[in-house]
Amino acid sequence: MAKHLLNRLLVSFPVLLGVILVGFVLIQIAPADPAAVIGGASATQADLVMIREQLGLDRPLWYQFALYLWRLLHLDLGRSMISNQYVLDEIMTTVGPTVELMFASVIWSVPLAIFLGTVAAYRRGKLVDRLVMVLSVCGVSLPVFWVGMLLIQYIGGWGWLPYLGRSGPLWSVDGFLGIILPAITLGSVLVGPGARITRTAVIETLSSDYVRTARAKGAGELRILVRHALRNAWMPIVTLVGLQIGNLLGGAVVTEQIFSWPGVGRMAVGAIFSGDFPLAQGAILITAVGFLLINVLIDILYVYIDPRSHRQ
Amino acid sequence: MSALPTSLPVMAPVPAQGLWHRIRSDRLLMMWLVLAIVIVLLALLAPWIAPHDPYATAMRVSRKPPMWMSDEGVTYWLGTDVQGRDMLSRVLYGLRATLMISLLAVFVGSGLGAIMGVLAAYYGKARGPIMRVADILLSFPAILFGLSLSALMGPGLGSLIIALSVSAIPGMIRVSYSAALGVTKLDYMEAGRSIGFSDAYLIARYLLPNCSSMLLIYTTLQLGHTILLASLLSFLGLGPLPPFAELGSMAADGRKFLEVFPHISTIPTLTIFVVVLVINLLGDSLRDAFDPRLRK
Repeated sequence: MAKHLLNRLLVSFPVLLGVILVGFVLIQIAPADPAAVIGGASATQADLVMIREQLGLDRPLWYQFALYLWRLLHLDLGRSMISNQYVLDEIMTTVGPTVELMFASVIWSVPLAIFLGTVAAYRRGKLVDRLVMVLSVCGVSLPVFWVGMLLIQYIGGWGWLPYLGRSGPLWSVDGFLGIILPAITLGSVLVGPGARITRTAVIETLSSDYVRTARAKGAGELRILVRHALRNAWMPIVTLVGLQIGNLLGGAVVTEQIFSWPGVGRMAVGAIFSGDFPLAQGAILITAVGFLLINVLIDILYVYIDPRSHRQ
Repeated sequence: MSALPTSLPVMAPVPAQGLWHRIRSDRLLMMWLVLAIVIVLLALLAPWIAPHDPYATAMRVSRKPPMWMSDEGVTYWLGTDVQGRDMLSRVLYGLRATLMISLLAVFVGSGLGAIMGVLAAYYGKARGPIMRVADILLSFPAILFGLSLSALMGPGLGSLIIALSVSAIPGMIRVSYSAALGVTKLDYMEAGRSIGFSDAYLIARYLLPNCSSMLLIYTTLQLGHTILLASLLSFLGLGPLPPFAELGSMAADGRKFLEVFPHISTIPTLTIFVVVLVINLLGDSLRDAFDPRLRK
């Protein structure tokens, strides 16, 4: 377990470093003078010199990079060039909605995918299996934004459910109704691949010796399926769902865009287009950190699913 | 959406000569192949078969519905977009652009990945570092590449193609590694080495051709994935800039008129879906035909 986590962190480190470098370069190439932005219109030349000194802008590049790292360690991501607010403050308002959206998407789509995959595996070669496989290859080929646009066109457009923005936390009535369409859209990314992965994994466990033994001992079919086949198929399922997180992230950015959901992805895209380099830098950094955190969480999840990895 | 193979099967080397024979005997596979060729032909021939100029705007004919919803005859088969540009011509040109972008990216990314994977399999010492590179690239989500590059270089064709290429590398490293590893252990490689063939000659003449069909199959699966990613990024505006006809950005264009003129964004989106579906089905059928695990 510790070894596994260590390995994950080692692999993640270059990613983090890469994103940090991107962030640093972004700050460097920003066309506006950060000192002028912070100083505002009324700043005198002396003020600007002072601010530059404070920010270390008069120092060599390596020093600025070290300073950048130091600030990151202190969660100082600078100020937005447009609103002049602290980047971290602005981004923190978007993290909640994004996490909420991802949660609401995973909570229905992963169980559905596992259910479909298990049923398909159990009825391998039958009509149900074929249907699930067709559905899954369609799901894998579907552009996320189409799902969103269809939902808006047919459900949102007819006034059945709200589809613009977020109107409250998940547990309030408005918030709950508002997240339904975005969550269906984003979750649809996972159903196709998830069902496919589950099917393969369960087919493998169904043909194993312990399932045959369980059957020989007279265990019921449902018990065999849930307690023996599915339980042992968990490992590959979690591994592969973990690999889908990159896709989920990409889907989240698009979903937020379509539904005007006030999340990190929408902020990142907006910042890129408005040329707000510090904000873009912050949004990209936060996304990368979130991605790494989820991966570490999944690694921890392994231990609970597979006690063997804990004992070693 | 994922074509990434994660549980890698032990791939039996399939000589390229056997590929065509097996494709011909599989009717379903043949059908997907023909459909894929038709799509590629439509894209290639776009400048000659497009009925109108895809960039010619004409406000007086803007937002015309497709022919089956229109009673004005068949000047515009698929209707026109907001600026009165012919949808059919734009979809053909967009298909051309999307396919060319994705093919270029897959070609570059998979090519680099294949070289690295084969080298890792052939030279034991290179294995560690190359697989580490694959791990690192694999843990870097494609959307982050797209966003970072667009932020650094500005949104556009260049950053889109680089992002797509890089995201195609790691999967290919793993596939080509496991495909090539099987081949390196075969007798003829040993025989070639004992005759005194150089490493470069052995790799180019024996190793690569003998895992080429596996690489081809995986490249097909990767292509579907890359097309989706390309349209996703350009839907966000991180691709080629307007008025360039590209399916993803066309879908985004019509988004504002979804409730009134749904055809403007539905037609390009449907095109993306069909193209990716055909390519995925082709890749799946190819894999079913060649994966020894599934054949037994």
